[in-house]
Amino acid sequence: MTDFFQNSGLAVKLGGIILKNPVIACSGTFASGLEYNEFYNISILGAVTTKSMSLAPMQGNPPPRICETASGMLNSIGLQNEGIDYFLENELPRMVEAGAAIIVSIFGKDADEFTKIASKIKTYEKEILAVELNLSCPNVEKGGMAFCALPDEINRIVSLTRNILKTGIIAKLSSNFNNIPEAASKAAKGGADAVSIINTIAATAFDINTFKPRLGNITGGLSGPAIKPIALLKVYELAKENIIPVIGMGGIMNWEDAIEFIIAGACAIGIGTANFINPDCGRKIIDGINDYMRRRNINDINILRGIVFKNSGAII
Amino acid sequence: MKVQKGEIVAARKYSENLYKLEIFSPYICKNARPAQFVNVRCAGFESNDPLLRRPFCIYEIDKKFNVFSILFIVKGKGTAYMANLEKGEILDFVGPLGNGFNIPENKNKFLLLGGGIGVAPLCLIAQNLIENNKTVHFVAGFKDETFYVWERDLIKILRDYRIFSENGAFGEKGLPSEYIYNSLDTFKEYQFLVCGPLEMLKNIQSILRGRKINALALMEEKMACGIGTCMGCVLRIKNKNGDIQYKKICTDGPVFDLMEVCFD
Repeated sequence: MTDFFQNSGLAVKLGGIILKNPVIACSGTFASGLEYNEFYNISILGAVTTKSMSLAPMQGNPPPRICETASGMLNSIGLQNEGIDYFLENELPRMVEAGAAIIVSIFGKDADEFTKIASKIKTYEKEILAVELNLSCPNVEKGGMAFCALPDEINRIVSLTRNILKTGIIAKLSSNFNNIPEAASKAAKGGADAVSIINTIAATAFDINTFKPRLGNITGGLSGPAIKPIALLKVYELAKENIIPVIGMGGIMNWEDAIEFIIAGACAIGIGTANFINPDCGRKIIDGINDYMRRRNINDINILRGIVFKNSGAII
Repeated sequence: MKVQKGEIVAARKYSENLYKLEIFSPYICKNARPAQFVNVRCAGFESNDPLLRRPFCIYEIDKKFNVFSILFIVKGKGTAYMANLEKGEILDFVGPLGNGFNIPENKNKFLLLGGGIGVAPLCLIAQNLIENNKTVHFVAGFKDETFYVWERDLIKILRDYRIFSENGAFGEKGLPSEYIYNSLDTFKEYQFLVCGPLEMLKNIQSILRGRKINALALMEEKMACGIGTCMGCVLRIKNKNGDIQYKKICTDGPVFDLMEVCFD
């Protein structure tokens, strides 16, 4: 780590990935960050994770694509994107210009597509911090969270990507199969630097008047504060196993939630749905963490990581 | 666009379900254009229920006093929260959002057709057209007399309007689409601009199909971010080549060519 990062007290290390602070914008909630750059300077974030980019453009799922639920929302966007080539040529340069620390999220229907996308990224490797492998989207027919049902497939995709890229690699996992520690071990063996947990939880809603699903795709992914306690437990359970650095995400709305994930064992945290509600929440969360540390005379955020199980022992 | 907090300078109840909030915001009054919207936080401090902001087209802009307004019907948790807000309270909103409405070149006559709360954005558009010396004929259709008081706002903008209601309790009894259908010859040189329930938009689309009348529609869909990042508010658009694409209502719209909108 550079002196500057060390001095800030907020720098964190996830395998070979160094972030100036632990606050990351989650994939699919931040586009390429340029819209949010109108609200605050996105270069202050630990990292910006792009929307998942596929090999070819994807049209996404039929509307309605979102539905609000109690303290949460369902989405079934279906990874609508312009494809990796468009991203690398048009959006990546603008993100670099905005000074963002960039994590490129990628999605393939199979291992072959992941390797093809990784090969395309290779040329631009120096401009990015890491690649996040989306192995957990609940809204696609092929691939997506189905990978998480087959941890060996996770191992294969991570290894193949590792063979191509020297940049950081993050595996984004699903909580829908109750096997996160196993999937995370396979990701670690394949050469991942960290895992992101959790992606949205598969869920649905119906209209009692029309008798129709509230989502065009019938099923979607639940996000927002409604899933925070679940995400927190998953982070806690995985982090105490000390398998691989954990990026914790799921319903984080403010700096208090962010601290809660860090003391539960997360090295870094992701803000997702909160961006929709408070477009400047990234800045506020960084400020809030800073103020909290100052008030409590904590000079290194890493002291807080996993303090819950360090203090009390593993009780689950 | 900015995240802003604006003081509510007036909270008016027009009828059982129809409300208007007037909000002080020099920023919106300076920057907003007709058919742009604000995304409003509809929950109290630290509350996550309802979670998402609610999008509302801007209803009026008073540049003299730096006040803009939102007209809304109470339909769910978000609008119920807004209906309970009082003068002096603070509204949290993001805006102005969307592309707004650009007056098409070479068009001088406009027919604005609003159904239900769809009349709200059309009022600001009508005002803008009249300020630009355009001819505007306003047609409004409602289920009942809920919008009775609203006519006082409309008459401040223009006199050339027709109001219909399904039960005949407000204006003429009938559907505005029947009136449009029977008057197509009169309006053949008009640029149509429509906002309202899907059923009405579908009707107008089928009435106008095959005729050389240009029609634009202001569309709505459930929305999360309002700034083009969540991809939630998409609409199916069939372009001139017959290809179907998903377009975002927030940043590609909210105004679209009515004849390109797929309702199936």
